Amino acid sequence: MEYKNDLVMEAKGLTFSYDGRHNVIENLELALQQGKITVLMGANGCGKSTLFKLMTRNLYPDDGDIMLADRDIEMMGQKEFARNVAIVHQNNTSPPDITVETLVGYGRTPYLGTFQAAGSRQDREAVAWAMAVTHVEQHRSSYVSELSGGQRQRVWIAMALAQKTDILFLDEPTTYLDIRYQIEIMKLIRDLNREYGITIVMVHHDINQAIEYGDVFVGMKDGRIVAQGNPEETIDTELLYELYGIRLPVVEVAGKRFVMTV
Amino acid sequence: MKQTERKHNALWFILVLALLFGMTYISINTGSIELSMKRLYQGLFVAYDADVATVWDLRFPRIIIAALGGAALSVSGVLFQACMKNPIADPGIIGVRGASFAAVLVAGLFPTLYFFTPMLAFAGGILACAMVYLLAFRNGLNPLRIILVGVAVNAVFSGLTQAFNSMTGGNLSGVASIANSNIAQKTWDDVYIITGYVLLGLVLAWISYHQCDLLSLSDQTARGLGVNVTLVRIWISLIAVVLASIATAEVGVVSFIGLIVPHVARLLVGSAHKVLIPFTMIGGAFLMLMADTLGRTIAAPYEIPASILLSIAGGPMLIILLRRSDKAYGV
Repeated sequence: MEYKNDLVMEAKGLTFSYDGRHNVIENLELALQQGKITVLMGANGCGKSTLFKLMTRNLYPDDGDIMLADRDIEMMGQKEFARNVAIVHQNNTSPPDITVETLVGYGRTPYLGTFQAAGSRQDREAVAWAMAVTHVEQHRSSYVSELSGGQRQRVWIAMALAQKTDILFLDEPTTYLDIRYQIEIMKLIRDLNREYGITIVMVHHDINQAIEYGDVFVGMKDGRIVAQGNPEETIDTELLYELYGIRLPVVEVAGKRFVMTV
Repeated sequence: MKQTERKHNALWFILVLALLFGMTYISINTGSIELSMKRLYQGLFVAYDADVATVWDLRFPRIIIAALGGAALSVSGVLFQACMKNPIADPGIIGVRGASFAAVLVAGLFPTLYFFTPMLAFAGGILACAMVYLLAFRNGLNPLRIILVGVAVNAVFSGLTQAFNSMTGGNLSGVASIANSNIAQKTWDDVYIITGYVLLGLVLAWISYHQCDLLSLSDQTARGLGVNVTLVRIWISLIAVVLASIATAEVGVVSFIGLIVPHVARLLVGSAHKVLIPFTMIGGAFLMLMADTLGRTIAAPYEIPASILLSIAGGPMLIILLRRSDKAYGV
């Protein structure tokens, strides 16, 4: 897809409520830049998960539009959207006896006919590439259920990569992982962005990882966006107080900014 | 799929096919007339033999109907379980009772429409299924809500069927045979009626194996892959309703088989639907035929309906399998 002014996705006047009375998202404007890692943050219940669901077409707005390049995503076919945007959700489930290779192959679904399973040369190349990038090829014949949490998360990312999209959405990709796997996943995400030019949009909870790995920080509160910009410059004690209602000291170590989250 | 498992799967297929053929032979020979393999062959293909002709008219239709019914109900179970992402989903939950009620009505009130029974049963099944889905629909179809609404709708149709059976004094043979799941007295006409529908349903089920696989992912993940989850769920349910209704119209309500056969099949050949659906088909045909054959042997000359035997033997069997298995399929 051709993107104007390096903007891949734009939300305009977005409004949404679950019950028709209280707007969870209200008149929200957001523009996502091409080739960047955008980190969406905010307190529980601030509307970031709802925004994520709206941008990934799991919910539809009551008012306003979300544009992908110059197309309204509501008007796009399900498969067409899946050829442009890949999504890694939280809490993924799969049958206990599905192999890594088969699962990653499901990522080819947007390119297949209704009754077709992945199998063409193009499919196999995309699957092999996705498994290589995420370093899961040595587990290709293992069951997904046999893998560790960190490996499993890489498999789900591989499945999304097999969709061969320009944009990758991730919903809290490091939740439930220990610190080693967290950093492994964050580095993988950075590689996907830097080496393959994939635009990344993710909901994330760890403030310091957002500063380290994010290019653009988007802070949400009460269904609106209250801050957007370079995380190094944007995140400070005042902003964190506004977002989370708690004062956290910010220190500098070796020229880098860290938030004391204790 | 792992290489070793591919080999195992082939062996399981050969075994269960052998069991099906063996059971067919035993079933042919169960009753007052016994025929050797040679005599059977000669009577069927070489020269007329009065005994073989009797068996051909009386036992063959029953065998074929039991096998087709078992296959249809079992595959219907697999499809519903895929749709609901729930290993205890059963054709009984959606549609089947509606189908049996329609079949009972036809048999009782319009016996002349006998040949249209499968179609009308299908209409009844679709009606019940549509009721369940419409009542459960809220922002898409949530599997758990479908099951809960299904139980309620199911109870109503089940009650209506029993009520109608009682109102007719339980004496109308057509009504009673569906209400009580009796496969006795089937003729070649019955075979002609259901074969086409069942084969169509089985073929449709198998070509949809990839969609069944995709439904095993969470709904939002499947949607992210470009799958129209609600539409796929309706399509798979539709095939399942076709299979379950047609089978129910002929063999009555046999709910347990749609639960146990897919379960055992998953333990043996895994959960990939490309393999699971055909395996369940053969396994279901075998189990139903075995239950029917046993049913007419145990207390001969009286017959115990296959559905009752399946419930008695199937329950403990499922529990043993679940306890011995180290792989837990969502249970």
